[in-house]
Amino acid sequence: MSALAWLLPAVPIATGVLLLTGRFTLGRRTDKAAPAIAVTAAFVALGLAIAAAVARPVVTFPLFGRLPAGLAVDGLSAALVLTVTSVSLAILVFSAGEFSPDESRTRFFGLMLVFTGAMLVTVTATDLVVLLMGWEVMGAMSYALIGFWWRDPRRVGSGDVSFITTRAGDLGLYFAAGAALAGTGSLDLGGLAAADGHWRNLIAAGVVLAALGKSAQLPFSFWLSRAMDGPSPVSALLHSATMVAAGAYLLLRLEPLLAATGWAATLVAWLGALTALLLGAVALAQRDVKQLLAASTCAQIGFMVLGAGAGSVAGGIAQLVAHAAVKSLLFLGAGAWLTALGTKDLTELHGAARRYRLVGVTFGVGMLALAGVPPLSLWATKDHVLSAALEVSPALYAVGLAAALLSAGYAARAIIAVTRPVDAATRVDTEQTGTRHVSLLERVPLPALAAGSAVLGIFALTPVYKAWKDLLGTGPEPSPGPAEMAVSGALALLVLAAAWTLMRHGRRVGAAWTAPALRWFYLERLAELLVARPVFALAKALARFDDRVIDGGVRATAATGQSAAALAGRGVEIRVDGLVNAVGRGARRLADLARRPQTGQVHTYYAQATVLFAVLIIIVLLVR
Amino acid sequence: MMSENPADLLPELCVLGAAVIGLLIGAFLPRSRQWIVVALCASGLVAGLVAAVFAARRADLMTFGAFMLDPVTHVTRIVVLAATLLVVLLAIGPMRGHRRESEFYVLLLLAALGTITLGAASDLLVLMAAYLLASIPGYALAGFGKDAPGTEAALKYFLMGAFLGILMLTGITLLYGLGRGTSYQPLPAELGTAPGGAVMVGVVLLLAGLLFKAGAAPAHFWIPDVTEGAPPVVATFVTTVPKIGAFAALYRFATEALPPTTGDWPLLIAVIAAATMTLGNLAAFAQDNVRRLLAYSTVSQAGYLLVPIAMAGRTDLAEPALLFYLAAYAVTNIGAFAVVIAVGRDELTAYRALMRRSRFLALSLVICLLGLVGTPPTAVFVGKLLMFGAALDGDYTWLAVVAAVNTVASVFYYLRWIMPAFARDTEPVGPLDRTAQWTAYLAAAGSLVLGIGSGVALTIG
Repeated sequence: MSALAWLLPAVPIATGVLLLTGRFTLGRRTDKAAPAIAVTAAFVALGLAIAAAVARPVVTFPLFGRLPAGLAVDGLSAALVLTVTSVSLAILVFSAGEFSPDESRTRFFGLMLVFTGAMLVTVTATDLVVLLMGWEVMGAMSYALIGFWWRDPRRVGSGDVSFITTRAGDLGLYFAAGAALAGTGSLDLGGLAAADGHWRNLIAAGVVLAALGKSAQLPFSFWLSRAMDGPSPVSALLHSATMVAAGAYLLLRLEPLLAATGWAATLVAWLGALTALLLGAVALAQRDVKQLLAASTCAQIGFMVLGAGAGSVAGGIAQLVAHAAVKSLLFLGAGAWLTALGTKDLTELHGAARRYRLVGVTFGVGMLALAGVPPLSLWATKDHVLSAALEVSPALYAVGLAAALLSAGYAARAIIAVTRPVDAATRVDTEQTGTRHVSLLERVPLPALAAGSAVLGIFALTPVYKAWKDLLGTGPEPSPGPAEMAVSGALALLVLAAAWTLMRHGRRVGAAWTAPALRWFYLERLAELLVARPVFALAKALARFDDRVIDGGVRATAATGQSAAALAGRGVEIRVDGLVNAVGRGARRLADLARRPQTGQVHTYYAQATVLFAVLIIIVLLVR
Repeated sequence: MMSENPADLLPELCVLGAAVIGLLIGAFLPRSRQWIVVALCASGLVAGLVAAVFAARRADLMTFGAFMLDPVTHVTRIVVLAATLLVVLLAIGPMRGHRRESEFYVLLLLAALGTITLGAASDLLVLMAAYLLASIPGYALAGFGKDAPGTEAALKYFLMGAFLGILMLTGITLLYGLGRGTSYQPLPAELGTAPGGAVMVGVVLLLAGLLFKAGAAPAHFWIPDVTEGAPPVVATFVTTVPKIGAFAALYRFATEALPPTTGDWPLLIAVIAAATMTLGNLAAFAQDNVRRLLAYSTVSQAGYLLVPIAMAGRTDLAEPALLFYLAAYAVTNIGAFAVVIAVGRDELTAYRALMRRSRFLALSLVICLLGLVGTPPTAVFVGKLLMFGAALDGDYTWLAVVAAVNTVASVFYYLRWIMPAFARDTEPVGPLDRTAQWTAYLAAAGSLVLGIGSGVALTIG
């Protein structure tokens, strides 16, 4: 049974590692077979995930000698592993169609599989160490994937920014692990809430920091904007079921810990709500469809974080699952257009939905779901989270609702942009040369994901949601009444209609108003000013200190040594040198002497052996 | 514990059976199907190895009153059988299609059998018989090529062996007379009451034969000539395998047969050890023939190996030092010879730019040669460390210093061989022997694994 818990992450990771080693030992020959191998592995992983969701395997093993560690699939993990494996399967199928054969496909698919496998480790870990292993591998893979086109320095820079930002947050998790070990003597995730007093506060602080970094919540949101420089399938995976979802998952998993401290739950709830609101505004201002989607990811993850803070674990996980389907669908659609039309600018995408109808229809479904239009998925899941927020504080609810309305606004912008007929100002190939073609493999996953985005609206039904809560094994949570749901749905539709009319009349908001939102509220600049620059300045100061003071000492020592050596060289070295040479000469002479007895003639050997043994006998007789 | 159960000699019986059956069926098989004999001999060795590994887990036991089964025997068995197996692998390439292919392997097996018996014998007469069984197939092997250098080598080998064998037999006769018996069990008590000078004369004469097998001064004269003249595979064998039995026999004689009051033994052996390692290293300095270079290197290694023999009974480190060093030396020396066989040339200049011809072969050469120097993390390093430890623990600091100076000096001639291998210019390229190449990789890897896993190996031992 426990083998299943091992196999589930092992299959994608092992296949990925095999592909990567194959790439670096066999070269580009492997590129042809890589997509098929990767898709097969993802398929097997999905099968294993289904089996694991049914069988609920548990495996425990001692770590560092005595700490219990393990992998287990409980209700919460079951929902996550199913989401992760199915979304990654869909994305890998799409990538098999999108990536042209001259790309380094083996490297791409290998990294994607390891990325997925690491997420599976993260969501099935039962203790902080194993979770950290998955967490770290995931971070490293995201770095390699964002900088996948490494010949372009900007993309590599984006990888750096993402990696360093998330790593800065990750430190919190190490801190939390240390505090957990000190506070509870164990790293078991379930036992963290039971830590006493200040240890619990320290653990919660570390966990919150790490989760906010990974999930690109305020104030870390900017790295997600830079992460857009990776290939579209990477964005699709990174924004939906892995990476950013990991932070939300961690908070939802550790909701009892947050609730136990009191302050952490409130902080997390407010940060989530504010991220949803502010990044919603950012999304509304974007002109690039991938940037719009990135900001919307932050905003939507904000609802999950809000759910974790407000105690709505089932709602938060439902939001995570539904968002994974919606967001992967939207990124794949945007990616398909980018490949086909060579642009991701909203104004240049006019008519895109008409030219590629399947992409257009599925993209539309995803956007409507994002807008919170009933009866689609995010409408239902978001309302579950919001009703929990209402229980906590009406202000929180109000912020959340405003954020929800913003999401309807930017969804409307995107839908209108792509459905509008082509006009004279529309240009294609602004970023790369498009293929004017959406291949079959790129199209296949779209309807499936669109169906998922739509059907998950059944979370609105009370019996379904009750069954969901039973599956996850969460406690009682508030659910929205029919009135609340109707109101939010109606508001979403209203916003959509308003946006529609406004845009039809060509109303534009002044650039001065939208500039801060367009630039992601200058978060990256702020991080650079407040963190990067001071750190660099400190580093430079320390380097100067090192150069002048410490190095100076070392150099002075060296100079003293040198002058002493010069002194010695004049007086002593000639004699020492002579000695060394004499030793060498002596050794050589001895070596010649040593070969002398080897005459090659047996009679001399006999004579020598006899004499030498006689000498030995005399020695032992004399020594006595 | 005493026993007379033939099953206790299962590893030896496996080898003997393979040799006898191999000889019989080899006579009737056409030349194209002699590989059956090779397979038979190899499987006999493997079966013996397996049996020896299982036997190693049992308690100490004396069989037939003359064959001691203790850790020394177990290690001797395992190392001799494994080393012979590697030599069989090395021989596959050069001996394929040879007119007397099956005889070659049979002789190898018989010599290996004699070597094991040499290490396990706890009776002076059995020791003599083992000496003959280990030597005579070796003489035949040395002349196996039937060419002029091979014949000369075989004759020198035989004459030296015969002469020193007679000295040994004289020593045994003397000890028999003084000790009123040949079995090691009563010997210490009896020799303790005998006149000390006569006992030491007997011991020195006995040493003549064992030092001949060990390849140590002053019975080392045959080594350079045989190593250069005999076929390379035979050179590999006779510089590696008989040594193992000889050192085991020396250790056993020192700990079991000598009366504890014999104070001269450590000094005697220490002098021989110091002379051997110094002579071997000095003579290796200016060699341009790699086989002669390796020959002298084995002489110097024999010197290092004598250090734990000198310390036998003085410190608990002596036994692990000797046994581990033996295993390490065997695998490393075979690796170095395997490279020579793979390249197929004896001049030092033929190894220029070996790195360009085969990266892994050059790497194996480096691992084996640096291994012979005693560089971490190879196995010989651990062996040398234990050896130094034994010398210091046994209060023979001067011997440890001599060994250390010799080790440093030996770097010189090993580097003379390594450096050209990394030269950039390309030489005219000849074909490399594939099986020998793989044997070299195997031996180099074995040397590393044994070195890194030394902790494990030593706890099992």
